[in-house]
Amino acid sequence: MAEAILEVRDLHKHYPLTQGILFRKQVGAVKAVDGVDFDLVAGETLGIVGESGCGKSTVAKMLVNLEKPTSGTIRYKGEDLTKLSPRALKAVRRNIQMVFQDPYTSLNPRMTVGDIIGEPYEIHPEVAPKGDRRRKVQDLLDVVGLNPEYINRYPHQFSGGQRQRIGIARGLALQPEVIVADEPVSALDVSVQAQVVNLLDRLQSEFSLSYVFIAHDLSIVRHISDRVGVMYLGRIVEIGTDVQIYDHPTHPYTQALLSAVPVPDPEARAHRERIILTGDVPSPANVPSGCRFRTRCWKARERCELEVPLLAVPAVYRLADTPARHDSACHFAEEKQVVPPEESLAHPDPLADGPAPVEAAREAAEGPPEEPGPDAAPPDEPGPDAAPPEEPGGPKTL
Amino acid sequence: MLLEVRDLHVEFHTRDGVAKAVNGVNYSVDSGETLAVLGESGSGKSVTAQAIMGILDMPPGKISGGEILFQGQDLLKLKEEERRKVRGAKMAMIFQDALSSLNPVLSVGEQLGEMFVVHKGMSKKDARAQAVELMDRVRIPAAKERVGQYPHQFSGGMRQRIMIAMALALEPELIIADEPTTALDVTVQAQVMDLLAELQREYNMGLILITHDLGVVADVADNIAVMYAGRIVEKAPVHEIYKAPAHPYTRGLLDSIPRLDQKGQELYAIKGLPPNLLAIPPGCAFNPRCPMAQDVCRTDVPPLYEVTESPAPRSSACHFWKECLHG
Repeated sequence: MAEAILEVRDLHKHYPLTQGILFRKQVGAVKAVDGVDFDLVAGETLGIVGESGCGKSTVAKMLVNLEKPTSGTIRYKGEDLTKLSPRALKAVRRNIQMVFQDPYTSLNPRMTVGDIIGEPYEIHPEVAPKGDRRRKVQDLLDVVGLNPEYINRYPHQFSGGQRQRIGIARGLALQPEVIVADEPVSALDVSVQAQVVNLLDRLQSEFSLSYVFIAHDLSIVRHISDRVGVMYLGRIVEIGTDVQIYDHPTHPYTQALLSAVPVPDPEARAHRERIILTGDVPSPANVPSGCRFRTRCWKARERCELEVPLLAVPAVYRLADTPARHDSACHFAEEKQVVPPEESLAHPDPLADGPAPVEAAREAAEGPPEEPGPDAAPPDEPGPDAAPPEEPGGPKTL
Repeated sequence: MLLEVRDLHVEFHTRDGVAKAVNGVNYSVDSGETLAVLGESGSGKSVTAQAIMGILDMPPGKISGGEILFQGQDLLKLKEEERRKVRGAKMAMIFQDALSSLNPVLSVGEQLGEMFVVHKGMSKKDARAQAVELMDRVRIPAAKERVGQYPHQFSGGMRQRIMIAMALALEPELIIADEPTTALDVTVQAQVMDLLAELQREYNMGLILITHDLGVVADVADNIAVMYAGRIVEKAPVHEIYKAPAHPYTRGLLDSIPRLDQKGQELYAIKGLPPNLLAIPPGCAFNPRCPMAQDVCRTDVPPLYEVTESPAPRSSACHFWKECLHG
């Protein structure tokens, strides 16, 4: 696998909670991000999913240096961004740009589109000499599918989807290598979402960009990502390729999350086993001991309360040659297929009466994964005890 | 039939002209039925609901035609006083944003109890007891202790449960839920949708579910009405429409959503933008974005053609519905 362009290790962001007016003392902390590790490989898209409050946006902000991490490192091509001098940091930041969620509030209503997209050049004049800027901005408008003649218009003259294109053009202005996109399509209408997703796809191959794509919509994340990390309450609980996470999830939270996603197929209603979690996400100011998911987990046992599970390949799968072999932070990680494989749903047979199709789907869902390719060995072949109790080191790139 | 909307027209008079938000909508819901009204922003789905509830801001809004028959009675002909007796008691609405729909300075107990005080003339004490019972019914843990708390002390999912409790308070026969789970996380969304479906069965209520999420619709709806530019473009039972849409807009929507169970190549994207309601294109409103558009689509407004009559009625407002259905 290619080299990592971004390496994030043990990243923390704690916001202090204080009490008192004159003598402020810290009484606790909101642990928005509490130990996150991942690598971003050049040219790939890493999706980060999680519910609101899980810290995914805070991670995004730290990647582009809008927030200072409490501790941990972010290395861009080996350089630790958290330790760079302001001058060196400015040079590096050019290469990591962000696209924001809300196209209505992330563009200054008093600036023309040309000024908005050209503003990055004020800060990094080396990218485009003054006389050249207007042409560059027009090129960018063209690249994102807007009419270059719109350069003097204001944001309110554009629709939501067009504004998001402007936001993307601004992100591209400095020819970055990494784009951090925080919920870039969540605010858009369904029919416009697809246009923007396709645009992001096209730009990636055209400019060989690496994306960190943050979203709560699991279907869109699967569509666009090569690898996916699932976050819960400030930590990544499971990370792997899209097939590993979506078709072979081993962490109970991932399984619950996937099973809760409504699938646009009424035939799937009967086939799907849904895991409905009880309760809400605990407050990040008061994180449960041990495994932070245990308060909502149906598998939780005493060990989960005492011991923090590490993000590593679960012992059961360590020697197995199966897609279930990927990092998962659960003491009792176990593969469970919650998204029915598409073969069983793509051609539902309306004429077959009775429970036959349901049976078939269930069998397919519970049986061994029918992945094409030679490496599709049964998942449970090597005994769980055979695995050496090696201590997991840093995260692995899969 | 519990509710029948007939040829409803709603316009908004703005400085820039008349925005035609609803242009002849027909749909009906029966007791125990879930009708999903699907559409993008600006399609008129919420405005129709507001007209049914009688909570449309008038002016600038104006109902310029049509009938809304509730149990055979035309709501649009009722006086405001009579209308108020229907609203809340016989039909209730659940809104998208629970935090801004609840009053932040009143405890949830007071807000739930208000329904009983106003509509049933109960004493405050009795109303509070009823409020606790309601909170139990929508499965809010420790209802007795929490009844005195304020909306900000509840999580998003719990607030939406309180909204549902409030809608259920007087055991209405029809519930209109306008994007009830859009602001919620998926795991909480699943909880809330399950609760709503369960309560609907329990009380045999009619449910109009307004949403833009094709996934949620597939999970709970019996029938679907797809709206575009203030009109219904397709109406069908949920299983039929996902299998073979009879309108190019529905087809485009279905093709443009990424799927959880497959990693597609390029997504199909409907070209262009939803129309400006101040200037809806002549003919079929979808024609500038439609891959199948012909000359007739630019001149003649397509009526709702009947696609099938039995076992379940199905219709499509496309001149070329046959080609769409079989193509």
